Amino acid sequence: MNDALDVTLRLLVVFVVFLTFPLIVGQTEHKVMAHMQGRLGPMYAGGFHGWAQLIADGVKFAQKEDVVPAGADRRVFQLAPAVALLPYLLVLLAIPIGPSEGAVGQVLDAGVFFVLAVMGVGVLGSLMAGWASANKFSLLGGLRTAAQLLAYELPMLLAAASVAMAAGTVSLPGILHAFHWWWLPWQIVGAIVFFVAGLAELQRPPFDMPVADSEIIFGAYTEYTGLRFALFLLAEYAGIVVLCGLTTVLFLGGWHGPWGADGLGWFWTLVKTAVLAFLVIWLRVTYPRLREDQLQKLSWTLLVPLSLAQIALTGIVKVVIS
Amino acid sequence: MTPAAATAVLAAPAPPGFLSPTGVEIAFLLVGLVTLGAALVSVTTRQLVHAALWLVVALGGLAVEYLLLTAEFIAWVQVLIYVGSVVVLLLFGLMLTKAPIGRSPDADSGNRWAALTVAVAAAVALVWVVVDAFRTTWIDLDGPAAGTTEVTGASLFRHWVLPFEALSVLLLAALVGAIVLSRKAKADAAAPAAPGKEGAR
Amino acid sequence: MSHPSPDHHPVTTPPGRPRRSIPGAGLAKGLAVTLRTMTRKSVTEQYPDALPELPPRTRGVIGLFEENCTVCMLCARECPDWCIYIDSHKETVPPAAPGGRERSRNVLDRFAIDFSLCMYCGICIEVCPFDALFWSPEFEYAETDIRDLTHERDKLREWMWTVPAPPALDPGAEEPKEIAAARKTAEKLAAAQAEPADPQEGA
Repeated sequence: MNDALDVTLRLLVVFVVFLTFPLIVGQTEHKVMAHMQGRLGPMYAGGFHGWAQLIADGVKFAQKEDVVPAGADRRVFQLAPAVALLPYLLVLLAIPIGPSEGAVGQVLDAGVFFVLAVMGVGVLGSLMAGWASANKFSLLGGLRTAAQLLAYELPMLLAAASVAMAAGTVSLPGILHAFHWWWLPWQIVGAIVFFVAGLAELQRPPFDMPVADSEIIFGAYTEYTGLRFALFLLAEYAGIVVLCGLTTVLFLGGWHGPWGADGLGWFWTLVKTAVLAFLVIWLRVTYPRLREDQLQKLSWTLLVPLSLAQIALTGIVKVVIS
Repeated sequence: MTPAAATAVLAAPAPPGFLSPTGVEIAFLLVGLVTLGAALVSVTTRQLVHAALWLVVALGGLAVEYLLLTAEFIAWVQVLIYVGSVVVLLLFGLMLTKAPIGRSPDADSGNRWAALTVAVAAAVALVWVVVDAFRTTWIDLDGPAAGTTEVTGASLFRHWVLPFEALSVLLLAALVGAIVLSRKAKADAAAPAAPGKEGAR
Repeated sequence: MSHPSPDHHPVTTPPGRPRRSIPGAGLAKGLAVTLRTMTRKSVTEQYPDALPELPPRTRGVIGLFEENCTVCMLCARECPDWCIYIDSHKETVPPAAPGGRERSRNVLDRFAIDFSLCMYCGICIEVCPFDALFWSPEFEYAETDIRDLTHERDKLREWMWTVPAPPALDPGAEEPKEIAAARKTAEKLAAAQAEPADPQEGA
């Protein structure tokens, strides 16, 4: 009975986080992007500085007609948003926010692999959408998504493997328990590679070639309307939360902080995640979109060698200190 | 999961039998059926991309089976490699073809009977080998998990390190081969172009 | 993420320094720019909540000062899209002095501008020789029916009171022509008055 209650409570908390955090990131993006461009952003919805803009957007999306193009592959088309969104919900289950037993949805033995595997599945949603829309822009978007995923999955995995090597475990709480502050400089290259590759996998600017709106409208999501479209957008922002949380856990020491290690672990995790989310937005505002060939080149000629070098470094240091 | 675990604990002293299946066993069987069905649909459907997507279901079902056998690490690696990469590569390739939405009339191979024979033969061989090897060996799922990362790593890098290394050499050879092939094609394409340029000058 | 190649390097590199800077310097500079912009006040005007501060020469709407209008019709004739409607009639004015001649005078009956046609070129204001038309910064006169955009003289007169005083000239600007002319006349007059006085003083 108690067990069931505990599980239900955990699932509920994770679900609430899943529903609110992406919205918070989205609202922050609205405001931060606006101010970085000398604008104010939304000011009306909800009264105070447009805090309810995304809720209003959600209501708007819910009211819209749900259109499935006549030539589309109906079932795949309708299934795609769920496939894109649900993996991130699953990933959130595995991210620990504090050192205690209760501060993680579910402790997994092979947490790193679980997280990366499930995030990779999320991209399938974009591919399904791209193919099933019966639209050339969608198809191009799907192609670019696939090419990008193939290019960036590898450096991301290698960077994560480097941390796993350093910690001697692939469980996320295990990595955090093994963390020391000097891992920060030791794994910094891996951290950058992981973060950049993660951005590319989420198709966030400057890696948003698959949805490049100036050339292929909105890539794989071109034909989507209403709630299904909103789900894709939610998936993107949930992806930001997940990526930032993961980078925090793997490379920035999660709940470790200068003080208050016992009670304030969750606070440190949240602060680091928030700073990274800000960085994601900041990068989006600052840099122009990378061309397709530049994207591939960046991954294969820069990120992959860098991550391999990081693994080599990790191995050497590990052998030296043990 | 909890009632299943309870049943398993109750049933633990008695030797396991086929007639009183535990919850995990029932789940294992059901997922196996789904996996088999998805695999069958994936080879018989005439919609190419649907075949790839059914393959995702089949591979995912396999991952769930690993999970039920407490081989967590293997399960996630299965998802990571097969669903996350192989199927993506497959879909990427399919998108480059003229695969239509709906049925492809030419998706039927002429040698379907030969293929069926080979498939059935392979399946029979595999099933026979596995059944013959393990017979009524039962994996104790309630004790310390037999498929944790640590256990898997230890057996992989202690007992099976030679096959592992042989496999990596094979993969390295494949990698080198791919590079050689792509470079050769490039050189061939560049060779006729170069004199033309000079002639134009 | 690749930093700009050396030959694309910004022109801003000061001469004399080596052209090749630290890799990623351009990327960092971009981040600095956006961050700096974020900390500054944004330039957005929150219009319906806060009225904009418009410069005095804003071309919002055309106001009519009908006392100055002589119904010369220049504005209506010069208007490129014929959006000014003027009706008038003649009145005779009794002679100013007894025995004088009766004068006839144009009296304005109707002066309307169709702002659905007007393209805010300001030619009417330029050509008016009697300073009867003025730009006003007033701009909130949208209507739901296009026919309501033809505004009659009473409305145009109301707008006249929103015309701001012309802004002061820049320091060091040439003085306005009419003031220059007036000053010259005044100087001449002063000189003419002073001349007869001079010989007396000399004597």
